[in-house]
Amino acid sequence: MLRFTIRRLFQVIPTIIAVAMLIFIIFSVIPGSFASSLMSDGKTASDPEMIARLNEQFGLDKPVYERFGTYLVGLAKLDLGTSFRTREPVTKVINDRIWASLKLAIAAMVLAVVIGVPLGFIAALKPGSLLDSITMIGAVSGLSLPQFWLGLLLMYLFALILGWLPSFGYGGGDFKYLILPAITLGVTPLALLARTTRAGVLEIMNEDFIRTAQSKGMSNSRMIRWHLTRNVMVLVVTTIGLQFGSMMGQAVVIEKLFAWPGIGSLLVDSVSIRDIPVVQGTILVIVLWFLLINTFVDIIYAAIDPRIKQT
Amino acid sequence: MLKSLTLAAALLMGVSTASLAETPKSGGTLNFVAPYGSSFGTLDIHTSPSTQDEFPAKAIHRSLYQWNSTDSKPELELATEVTASPDNKVFTYKLRENAVFHNGKPFTADDVIYSYERIANPKNAFPGARYFSNLVGIEAFNKGEAEHIAGLKKIDDHTVEISYSDPAEPGFDLMNTNAAIYPTGAGEDPNFITHPIGLGPFEFVENIPGSKVVVKKFDKYYKEGQPYLDKINIVLLGDASARDVAFRNKEIDVSVLGPTQYVAYQADDALKDHILEVAEVYTRHVGFDTTKAPFDKKEVRQAFNHAINADLIIEKLVKNKAYRATGWLPISSAAYDKDAKPYSYDVALAKKMLADAGYPDGIDVAITATQNESWGLTIVEAIIPMLAEAGIRATAKPVEASVLAEVVPAGDFQAYMWSNLSGPSDYAVMKCFYSKTPRSSCAYQQMSDPAFDKLFEEAGAETDPAKKTDLLRQANDIVQEDAPSWFFNYNKAVMAYQPWLHGLQANATELAIQNYEELWIDDTAPDSRK
Amino acid sequence: MRGFNLNLWLGGFLTVLVIAGALFAPLIASFDPVFDANLMNSELPPDATFWFGTDAQGRDVFSRVLYGAQVSLTVGIVSQIINSVIGLSLGISAAYWGGWWDDLVNGLTNVMLAIPSLIFALAIMAILGPGLPSLLIALGLTNWSWTCRIARSSTLSLKAQNYVQAAQTLGYSDTRIMATQLLPNMVGPILVISTLGIGSAVLAEAALSFLGLGISPPFPSWGNMLTDARELIVIAPWAAVFPGLAIFVTVLGFNLLGDGLRDMLDPHMRTRSE
Repeated sequence: MLRFTIRRLFQVIPTIIAVAMLIFIIFSVIPGSFASSLMSDGKTASDPEMIARLNEQFGLDKPVYERFGTYLVGLAKLDLGTSFRTREPVTKVINDRIWASLKLAIAAMVLAVVIGVPLGFIAALKPGSLLDSITMIGAVSGLSLPQFWLGLLLMYLFALILGWLPSFGYGGGDFKYLILPAITLGVTPLALLARTTRAGVLEIMNEDFIRTAQSKGMSNSRMIRWHLTRNVMVLVVTTIGLQFGSMMGQAVVIEKLFAWPGIGSLLVDSVSIRDIPVVQGTILVIVLWFLLINTFVDIIYAAIDPRIKQT
Repeated sequence: MLKSLTLAAALLMGVSTASLAETPKSGGTLNFVAPYGSSFGTLDIHTSPSTQDEFPAKAIHRSLYQWNSTDSKPELELATEVTASPDNKVFTYKLRENAVFHNGKPFTADDVIYSYERIANPKNAFPGARYFSNLVGIEAFNKGEAEHIAGLKKIDDHTVEISYSDPAEPGFDLMNTNAAIYPTGAGEDPNFITHPIGLGPFEFVENIPGSKVVVKKFDKYYKEGQPYLDKINIVLLGDASARDVAFRNKEIDVSVLGPTQYVAYQADDALKDHILEVAEVYTRHVGFDTTKAPFDKKEVRQAFNHAINADLIIEKLVKNKAYRATGWLPISSAAYDKDAKPYSYDVALAKKMLADAGYPDGIDVAITATQNESWGLTIVEAIIPMLAEAGIRATAKPVEASVLAEVVPAGDFQAYMWSNLSGPSDYAVMKCFYSKTPRSSCAYQQMSDPAFDKLFEEAGAETDPAKKTDLLRQANDIVQEDAPSWFFNYNKAVMAYQPWLHGLQANATELAIQNYEELWIDDTAPDSRK
Repeated sequence: MRGFNLNLWLGGFLTVLVIAGALFAPLIASFDPVFDANLMNSELPPDATFWFGTDAQGRDVFSRVLYGAQVSLTVGIVSQIINSVIGLSLGISAAYWGGWWDDLVNGLTNVMLAIPSLIFALAIMAILGPGLPSLLIALGLTNWSWTCRIARSSTLSLKAQNYVQAAQTLGYSDTRIMATQLLPNMVGPILVISTLGIGSAVLAEAALSFLGLGISPPFPSWGNMLTDARELIVIAPWAAVFPGLAIFVTVLGFNLLGDGLRDMLDPHMRTRSE
């Protein structure tokens, strides 16, 4: 088990290096610059002297290959560079924001699991019933809504019309500020989990070993408890892992709408003002998160079903 | 000057009548909104030219001058007296003796010199360096030959002398928040960036990155009785529709309004009495590259101006949240020509002018623009059908804001739409139309008109303020006639505020930037503000 | 569940409805979506002339929703075609040739899976600038990894079967074998995943518009209509409700159709996890 874990962790490294190279290339050809973004509000007249000084300070006057070398050497030392805008280390800028993102992702995932899994289970017990059809159409509908539109509707309903919840912000970490963004972010994984659970349960119900168990006269409830849960669990855990892993990326729009201080809104802001070291660092963190969660899922997977290890 | 004074006073009416009736009350918490983005860039305001970063900085820091919204001019803030030499090159300041920094250190001449040398230092690459590019001895300082700038001289602990090589108007530069005075050595202290210290009315408490900055009342602030508020939460809320909900839900005390919300708020009985408006010093325009065909012909540029029904766009699309532009200088500027008439809406004339200029079949033009609703693609969308009637086939070329600010100074456009600062210093603004100003500075359209150049040069040499203003007014009339841009409008900045908030100022340079020490809230505020 | 395939029929109906709306937009719409902008008519509520009301620029929302269908469907379908072409050619060739090429494609697929597609698309849009061609490229380059994986695994299992070897002994070229022997055998699952992908692309267009990097006005896309109109929700809700509904109905249609196709083609195929 330990060897398997270590081997899977090492497999992450080449991917992360490839990602780092790819995003460096992408953001070295992007038009616009941090210096030009400072003038974009039309308030400050363009100042060629300052632009030249800024570019010199950030090393942007050096050739691309030299900058790439510096970047790689920095990465090897876990140094993501210095933010153009705040002039602080990128690691600090990200550290200031990542906890809010984690909180949001966990809340959304908990919501999705607590509602989605039982819903899928119930729907599968009576396939083809009205309840099943409603649940499944509802799940597809959940996958079909534009996120910011849903967020905006929730905001109007719960904050403005009903006055139950604050409409935006972090509020220093109060739980009530978390609810609306978490619901908005949780809808997609909720719908997917309901579908996956239902599909998993249905599939397994049809499989031979259950029929065998039935023919052997095992009681119905014990059968469902044991065979079903273990096998559905593998499927559900995979979906949870994939969803949880990609949540940082999915939260971008929601964080921006609700002014949630996570790394998603940091990324969008940093792209628009061309704070390239922060952009690169944020994407690396999002990718690393995805890879680590998936590795972790693989390990759990192997623990639930030891046959996996061989393949 | 008198004209702009009455205008500012008229614009202030809405608030001042209400606030004069009662005397300011101390205490309470304010939830102020920073609407221009979803984060603050930095707490070291010297490094940033962005308005967004001014929201916390304006509470924490003070500069030598401050903008006076009532008189529409910069006035002394950290000094009690200034004497200028007759040639307007040497300025001697008597500094305030009662000002202290948040860490208890008294304010002295050394702090002024330290701060200005930090901003001017080329190694730092700070945006405010250009405020000092005209100081005596700046070349030697920039080259590293001199450790200090010769033009910044300490006379005694509370007297500073600033010398320029050319006649100067230091107030317009030194009032900027990014020319704030820091305590000596602060910039080198690694803790300063996370815990800034200044002379301002409020002390820094905490920064929750991406969410808010909290400041509290500074007891030793140099103005008697101020500030009134105990605490301010400066919250980030960039999305306009989310801001609308939060304001209606009374979670925030002020909100900057866009055109659509302006209409909605005016139509709402509960909101319409608490709206503050001001003519801001921004001119929205479509600038032309006058060095290339077809816009090298004045008739074509004028035809473009005649082809658009700007009044209709302002009324229907901008919802009257703008003042129709005549020439470049805005209404609130001293050199604004109130007798000037805007270009008439006359499609037939526009067609004729195009034909006379040698384009009987019309012209094709690509307008580079961002997604901004007030000075971007939304407006370009509206003028496309109008231009089509006159034979100008326009297309939109969408770019991001940072790209716009790169391609325009580089001359990589046929026409662009932007909103540019057109004040408060008329002379500095008019420099952008002087033929000797490089495009990479601010002469984006590359206007070249000998009559303008002559007037501009005369204005530069003129020391009498009234005569200078008069020369600039004539220069502005030439800009209008030469039409390097389609003059669209001057921004009307609009801020909605909750009924319990008082003391807001009609700041024409940027309405959302307030002197927080003058704000106070009354007893009708909800419990969360007490 | 057996017998009547509700997903297929409902999804098919909605999809046909939307496609018909897009194709016949010039016939159905009574106004031009760009040039019939009369500011005197701005923000009118729905009535007999303007079925869905008008927007802030005085344009007919109904006409714009119809023409917007052209843009949104183009984005969805074209970007999916690009994705499928990339995914299929990489996936089939990787499994067929194996070796270093297979390793390279696998590595690339892992990288693509690890970078969230919205963020990748955001980056590409920032480079190319907003607009329809950039959007097609951005969404077409960033969502092919699942197609690639499916193509690769199907090829691996087909390769082991005799008729591929038979084709090889007949001296068919590699490309011919891939195109005529392998490709037709995976049409089903690829069709399913592409149908679902069209829905995701329509949603991604809306999200990118919200982030300020969508299709350039004045031509309508549902994403830019929704983004522009969200501030009008208090005074002119119709301008935001109808494009929002259009997105919802379209994505729902493609999602249901995809599910229905899967049920029809292979009842045992697992639910795709996005």
